[in-house]
Amino acid sequence: MKFDIEQTINDMLAAIKGVVSDHWDEVKTVATEFLKRRKDRLQLIAELRISGELSQEKFESRLNDEKLIAEAELNAAAVISKAIAQKAANAAIDVLSKAVKGVVDVII
Amino acid sequence: MLLMKTMMIFSRKWFNFFSVVLVASMLFASCKVTFVPEYDAELSAQIDESAKLVDRFYLEMLETTSNQNDGRAFEKFIQGYIDVEVELNSLLNKNKIKPLNENSTRICEITLELWKKYKNEHKTDNSLSDGLIKLNRQTFGDLFYAMQVAEKGKEIVSEPPK
Repeated sequence: MKFDIEQTINDMLAAIKGVVSDHWDEVKTVATEFLKRRKDRLQLIAELRISGELSQEKFESRLNDEKLIAEAELNAAAVISKAIAQKAANAAIDVLSKAVKGVVDVII
Repeated sequence: MLLMKTMMIFSRKWFNFFSVVLVASMLFASCKVTFVPEYDAELSAQIDESAKLVDRFYLEMLETTSNQNDGRAFEKFIQGYIDVEVELNSLLNKNKIKPLNENSTRICEITLELWKKYKNEHKTDNSLSDGLIKLNRQTFGDLFYAMQVAEKGKEIVSEPPK
């Protein structure tokens, strides 16, 4: 039995594409939710500055805190990306492993 | 003689080929990449409980007290601040000890940093306006959401294909 590297690579790519598209909606939903929450917070911060409940100093401090919150959100998104990458990489390795095993089984 | 030599070369080639294929298949059979730690249902539940604790803390402050007559003096809320800080420290330590968990750990560090910062602001001002309570409540709600997204994201790895 011949080991078809072209076919195996195509199958590996298909496995990666399958995993990524399976989870694309999750990434989109989370990113949209983060943006919505950011908009709500910024709106509230602006309202509090306009009403005088936030001094200029605290207003600037809160805007600085927004950078930290954005960092937290990016870290959360990074976990999803890494999890998808892990699943996709392992799916591709499984495809390669099965293809090699198929050839070995026939030879032996 | 020539035939013998040819057979020897031929069998050596086959032996090499077999060896490579066997080693490769053994390697691939056991090879799995890992970028994130396993999903931890217990930790996820603790994040949920901590989020509720903070939500209750600010909602009670907002609904049952006012700034009049020192109703929101810092000393009246010390116990609440301690309870939340203990929870946040616990979450941070549980995340920190896991390998490959730097993203979740960082989210906990940021949450704890902002919790201490807003606690100190309350301590300095000895009062907290309704607007700031709402903003703090929203901020921590969003940080706990990010924490939960990160933990739940780890579940993707073990989910069956759709």
